Amino acid sequence: MLTNKPNPEKSPTKEPEASENGEKIESMFSPGFRSVAAMAGWDEEAILVASLVVEDTPDRDFKQKKRSDLPFKTPPSNSRRKRRAQKRSPVIVAMPVLDLGEDETTRKENEKNTNTDEEKKAETEKKMIESKTNKDEKKKAESEKKKMMIESKTNMDEEKKTGEKELTASSSTLPCMDRLREELSCAICLEICFEPSTTACGHSFCKKCLRSAAEKCGKRCPKCRQLISNGRSCTVNTVLWNTIQLLFPQEIEARKAAAKASNSRETDHKSPPPPRGISHYNVRNRSIQALNSPEDERLQSTRRVGNTYHEGRNHIVGPPGIASRGDEVNVRRRRRRVPGQDEDAALALRLQREEFMEVFRGSDDQYNGSVSLARENLRAMASRAMNIRIRGRPS
Amino acid sequence: MSTMNSGGMSAGGVSSRGGRSWPSTTSVSSSGKRIQKEMADLNMDPPSDCSAGPKGDNLYHWVATIIGPPGTPYQGGMFFLDITFPSDYPFKPPKVVFKTRIYHCNVDSTGTVSLDILKDGWSPALTISKVLLAVRSIFTTPDPYNPVVPVISRLYLADRAKHDELAAEWTLRFAR
Repeated sequence: MLTNKPNPEKSPTKEPEASENGEKIESMFSPGFRSVAAMAGWDEEAILVASLVVEDTPDRDFKQKKRSDLPFKTPPSNSRRKRRAQKRSPVIVAMPVLDLGEDETTRKENEKNTNTDEEKKAETEKKMIESKTNKDEKKKAESEKKKMMIESKTNMDEEKKTGEKELTASSSTLPCMDRLREELSCAICLEICFEPSTTACGHSFCKKCLRSAAEKCGKRCPKCRQLISNGRSCTVNTVLWNTIQLLFPQEIEARKAAAKASNSRETDHKSPPPPRGISHYNVRNRSIQALNSPEDERLQSTRRVGNTYHEGRNHIVGPPGIASRGDEVNVRRRRRRVPGQDEDAALALRLQREEFMEVFRGSDDQYNGSVSLARENLRAMASRAMNIRIRGRPS
Repeated sequence: MSTMNSGGMSAGGVSSRGGRSWPSTTSVSSSGKRIQKEMADLNMDPPSDCSAGPKGDNLYHWVATIIGPPGTPYQGGMFFLDITFPSDYPFKPPKVVFKTRIYHCNVDSTGTVSLDILKDGWSPALTISKVLLAVRSIFTTPDPYNPVVPVISRLYLADRAKHDELAAEWTLRFAR
């Protein structure tokens, strides 16, 4: 960088550096600045070359040097800087700047342009300082530390600025959001589509709204009156739904909560009232009972049979087997106080199967019992035991 | 036996929650929400020459006015309408009745408007603002082929000038 400068002794002033970035757009230079640059021995060519170097190699040292200059050059107040930067923002936009660091430096340059007067005053000071830094390696190291600190500061500033930009951007999209809201709202409930379902004719409504419209108003599209098929009305347009969720997260959350609340209310209403506590618990328990109730009696009877059978077996043979199933079922049922719906279904299925099996076996058992009743003596008992063993095995 | 028992229990449960009956509350609230939305939209940008709003506290009972469009025999008249929303609105059409007498082949002597969209042609995507626009359109273009007052439609078809004269007379007499 410095080597590029034609006159190393005079040039290390600030203005030339400022000019380096500045000349990217010539019109940015104030006449005052140009004169200063000329005074510092910078002709246009040198400036151009310097700028090219800057553009090609976003050199760390270079940046840091500039930043190290910052405290001396720029006025102490941060707010002024910001304001100036904002004023200049159109110019900044005009430049094809990708690197944030470069952006920062150009901003500084801009400030410098505006501050040529102040800079002139401070010029001599800076000259001295810079020459010192050039000469003194140790001091450089020190200043590097400073630079680091300053860098972190400037980074924070940048973050703030970008945050502001984002804010303004979101506010600028607000009118668009209004239109989007209109576009994405359901014509039936006039709210933003909740789980939108798209008809064959291309119109989207809340799934619920569309379903009740089909039920109550006939299977025609509410918007264009074209016939709509049944199956389609139940599918959610996933892309649209995701888009809506992304665009209006708050509304959707609110509606989800409301839907949940109304759902629980409905279930509450359908099922006899819970004595106390969470409705879900009661609803589930109830559903279990409903599932089991028709089987309960039979189950118990089979259990009874199973138990008698078990006792009988205990008398005769030791090893536990099929008969203990009734007890197992019992245990399972006791454990399952608050199962999920799927578990409910699975349990019901299992119970049914087991019940079927047990009834099947039970009938055998009963048959055996009647046989045993018909016979009174030990021989009969023994034969019964034999029967059990024979029939019990294949299962 | 068991069903009766559960029914009694459920009634007790509902009353314990403040005597509300849930299904009616939910359905009413969904239609009420929609009506409230429509009200807000009407206030935001009302259709030309029309206004509408709830009569009193009841959200389901509105009153609307339509100003007779210029260039028609109803010009200069102010026509009042009663709008009653069913509880399953918007899936059922609102009832729209003229409170101001009008000489029109599509409005009978009780004020009932014969408009397709208020009967079979209703769609839940229609709003009160659209209904009012449709009602207003029958001022400018009566439908003499589906009349509720055949005398007027016959006159309309046979002697338009006479019809317009009579209509203007009625407007002057009842709608001002």
